[in-house]
Amino acid sequence: MERVLVTGAATWTGGNLIRRLSQRDDMAVFAVDDRSPRIRFDADFRKLSLDGLDLARYILEVDPTMVIHLQSVHRTSEEGRRASSEDRILGSLGLFGAIERLTSVRSVIIKSDTAIYGASPRNPSVLAETTRPQGKPSRHQRDLAEMERFIGEARKVHPETVFTTLRFAPIFGPNVGNSISRYLTLPVVPTLLGFDPRLQFIHDRDAVDALEHAIDNPIDGIFNVAADGQMYLSRMLRLGRRIPQPLPGRMFDTALRAMTRFNVPAPDHLKGLMKHGRVTDTTRMHEDFGFTPTHTCRQTVLCGYERIDTNHDAT
Amino acid sequence: MMQRDLTSLTKRELYEMARDRDISGRSSMSKSELVEALTPPPTEPHEDNDPEVEVVEDDFDLDGIGSVPLPGISPEDRAEARARRTALEDRLSQFVDQSRHCSWTSIEGHPCGLPVLAGTVRCGLHGDGSIADRPIPLTGSLGFSSWPALWRHLTLATYDPDAFGLDPVVAEMTWSVLNRLYYDYFRVEVEGIENVPSNGGAVLVANHGGAAVPYDGAMLALAVMNEAEPPRRVRVIGTEIFNMLPFVSHLYRKVGAAYAGRDDARELLKRGHLLGVFPEGERGFMKPVWEAYRVGRLGRGGFADLAQDAGVPIVPVAIIGSEEVHPAVMVSKRLAQLVRLIFPEQRVEEIAVALNPIPLPIRWKVRFLPPVEASGDGEPIDGLEQLERVEDVRRSIQAALDDMLAHRTTAF
Repeated sequence: MERVLVTGAATWTGGNLIRRLSQRDDMAVFAVDDRSPRIRFDADFRKLSLDGLDLARYILEVDPTMVIHLQSVHRTSEEGRRASSEDRILGSLGLFGAIERLTSVRSVIIKSDTAIYGASPRNPSVLAETTRPQGKPSRHQRDLAEMERFIGEARKVHPETVFTTLRFAPIFGPNVGNSISRYLTLPVVPTLLGFDPRLQFIHDRDAVDALEHAIDNPIDGIFNVAADGQMYLSRMLRLGRRIPQPLPGRMFDTALRAMTRFNVPAPDHLKGLMKHGRVTDTTRMHEDFGFTPTHTCRQTVLCGYERIDTNHDAT
Repeated sequence: MMQRDLTSLTKRELYEMARDRDISGRSSMSKSELVEALTPPPTEPHEDNDPEVEVVEDDFDLDGIGSVPLPGISPEDRAEARARRTALEDRLSQFVDQSRHCSWTSIEGHPCGLPVLAGTVRCGLHGDGSIADRPIPLTGSLGFSSWPALWRHLTLATYDPDAFGLDPVVAEMTWSVLNRLYYDYFRVEVEGIENVPSNGGAVLVANHGGAAVPYDGAMLALAVMNEAEPPRRVRVIGTEIFNMLPFVSHLYRKVGAAYAGRDDARELLKRGHLLGVFPEGERGFMKPVWEAYRVGRLGRGGFADLAQDAGVPIVPVAIIGSEEVHPAVMVSKRLAQLVRLIFPEQRVEEIAVALNPIPLPIRWKVRFLPPVEASGDGEPIDGLEQLERVEDVRRSIQAALDDMLAHRTTAF
């Protein structure tokens, strides 16, 4: 009997993953988050704060054989809200600390983000897993980098444990409401004047599929997870029939602050993304990890804007 | 969700939940009212010992999220959205199939106009078979009559750019404008085009000038597009300044140029592209008029290393014209400091000032010189050998420039 611990159960991705896992007979799922889940699932849910000690104690109590770490940096980091750096990363510190102490953990799957590459004019056009990020890192990027360092330390202690790090492109699609997708689906989207970034996404259902694939096929390593293809922002907004509002740098900052007031969180890495864009190399995902997303980037964008759930369509 | 769960949440979280469930009047509710509004009617089966465990109803469809009421989407809306999507896809396929506006033919002889553009490209560093890797001779020869069709492709995003951001349609439109400059204004004469390999990668190394606008990159690309048989694209690489400048930052990628990072350059060569390099860089670009056509140091000679790694030849290119269209009368470090004050990100050492706002109508000459092959065994060359090879290239470009200048009767 596999004992699976999942953090970030209150997210759309987490909730759906747990729903799929709880159907399996050979798995007992223990879900954790610091807020109540919106998606219902049939699993042992424990609401506790994700800032270190509570989480670590709970992991030691559960003694899992598999850990799926979806809330690897706190959502205040993803959404750019003010929070001390400890709050944003302590959950991972506690989690990996507990994993180092346990001997039962067989595999760990970590949801990271391609934001770890940052956005810099000196970045190569296509970012591979081995690319060293250039330029001044954003806060979210630093958090992610630190979190991935914890993985390295845990790997040293347990060399036989499989650590799968999945760096997801921004998740977009009909269901999710993360900060980037909320921003891009505004009726009028503020953009940076004179910049047209190349963007890459992953469909929300493909993200869940990728996690499930990682559970079924444990492979050690770091993988970029993104849909095939890429999109210029201008093309994407035209496809979604959203009105771009180009603004010069300072006014763009003001617009982002105004957005935050209207409950569309504007994280600090958003400006870099809207300036230089980010496209990652998915060769390792296709060849080593063995996962192919069902939606291309263009289909993802269409599904997201038209709010079409293709899974539902297919049946 | 149980009432006591809800009371333990903050008001903000309650408000977010209320927003997701589309409860009206939520903004004016107090916390207790929000809890009341969010508490499900008592008929729902929620009897369980552990209040933390969510009970899943029997008729709940676990296969997909489909039966969960998504915020703000009714089934009618969903059907309408689906219909809209189908209509959109129909429109897309209509444009993709239509080929009468375009008469692009590939060197294989089959029409590879718009249908080729319909594919989606896998973004990988290891050869993606993208549109830009295929030999589509988009040479700006389509003319303005094809622009409506091209514009529809742009607006409907019927295709993907390649891994480096080349957008064939934007490129086509831009090159067709620049071709007017190439044929009618600069009247470019090309010599030795047979030195450009007709397939496989090569590094084209040219002298740099311009002071205001790097016309030489565009003219080099157009020379190969217009004169070579079969027509080929040159992927000119530029510094990170291109990535920082507004408007330039995306246009230079869309027309086929790339960032001069090592990864990008190596990858372009690996895919068999022609790489256009101006190793003099900023120093060459900011040359004052009294130093025109004196080829400076060719950077650190990274191009020789790249060519050796990829096993491709280096083709030296001598360009007459680029260093005179904007004759720089002064080179100022003060001005560069001023620019750095306004754009602190930019690394500008000095700025050349040209007095003429429009380029002078110089008659251009582009001469492709015999290629320097990579040494046979493909082993990496040592530093000394690299420097020697770079010096050879520099000397041959300088000799060709001197020769062309000596035989020139007029600059205009």
